[in-house]
Amino acid sequence: MTCEEFELAGLDLESLQQAVPAHKAAREHLRSCPRCAALHENWQTLRADLHAVGAETQDAEAPSRVEMRLRQEFRTRHKTEKAQRAAVFAGWTLAAATVVLAAVSWVNWRHENGKGSTPSAVNSAQGVNTNKTTPAGPELGETIVAANDAGEFTLLPGSFPGMLEDATVVRVQMQRGALSALGLTVNEERAADLIQVDLLVGDDGQPQALRLAQNTN
Amino acid sequence: MHIEAQERDDVLLRRSAKGDEEAFTELYRRHQAPLYRFALRMSGNVWAAEEIVQDAFMTLIREPKKFDPERGALRSFLYGITRNRVLKHLERTPRESLHEQIDEDGIGQRGMASESLTPAEWAEVGERREQVRAAVLKLPVEFREAVVLCGLEELSYEEAARLLDCPVGTIRSRLHRGRALLLAKLEMLRDAPKRAGASR
Repeated sequence: MTCEEFELAGLDLESLQQAVPAHKAAREHLRSCPRCAALHENWQTLRADLHAVGAETQDAEAPSRVEMRLRQEFRTRHKTEKAQRAAVFAGWTLAAATVVLAAVSWVNWRHENGKGSTPSAVNSAQGVNTNKTTPAGPELGETIVAANDAGEFTLLPGSFPGMLEDATVVRVQMQRGALSALGLTVNEERAADLIQVDLLVGDDGQPQALRLAQNTN
Repeated sequence: MHIEAQERDDVLLRRSAKGDEEAFTELYRRHQAPLYRFALRMSGNVWAAEEIVQDAFMTLIREPKKFDPERGALRSFLYGITRNRVLKHLERTPRESLHEQIDEDGIGQRGMASESLTPAEWAEVGERREQVRAAVLKLPVEFREAVVLCGLEELSYEEAARLLDCPVGTIRSRLHRGRALLLAKLEMLRDAPKRAGASR
């Protein structure tokens, strides 16, 4: 082994396994070269000195104030983030609520406009030529009374003129008192009378309007 | 929330990123000491070491996503940040003011009190260690890192290479060169009184 090789290998002399050839060669060179022996001794001294200097600070730690500052920063940051997220969430919720409110208002406005218009004539599949309907629903405090006019259908509460498209006229015989189930006011003294009624039945099978048939008293 | 003793760093970091303070504190306590020692031994300044370690963990708080577990361990990541901060500090600091403050907290006296030395021997040992410490702080940064990690922290070449993200061969050659420079420097310091005496 040359001095140059020893300088490279000798750095790890202590950690090399004794059986490794490099270790044996390094040990041999140490015995024969005073310069490298002195160098090795200096290395050993330096290693011991570095170990001693390292031992001085081996238990050194950051002071507790560093942990306190970091935890404070952590809390502040995450509180801020939570507040920001809450604000964003509140913003979106408000926006969604505004949209829903606008939609409901629009639907109500359309509904109100629909109530105010005059219902158009309805043609039934059964060949009734002219069917007039009275406006749907009573005004507040007004009572619906089944009209005796053969030409006029009375819209039942909850029905809209639009529902009468494709409606079918069905003539039924029923007790006068049964008209109250349809939302109409009936003279109690005549509730038991049998009457014939023309019902305008919608697509859903529900009566939407009615009139008393011509031969009813 | 309970922290398992061996809970993985990346798991703790994910929990910390979601606001779990306990997870962050556990991470800090696990890693702060070696980082602080590294910063202290590289800079020779307790205040700088404190600030550097604080900065490293602030990065974890502010930008937890910067750490990618696929690229290496959290400790290596933190060492990388610490190294960068140390280098910035050294660029700003005049060389003359290095190693002025390392003994402020009496750190330099640790390990000596238990040795049974005469006052003269104690003074000599103290002077010798001061010379070694000063010589380490005067090494060029790349050699100083290798000496601090392998000579002072006594890590293996592989451990040091992982932390500095460089090949093992690079660590060996830097350490070899660093030790040579240290020996030369210490030889000069020890011969200086002899030369001064000879010149009279």
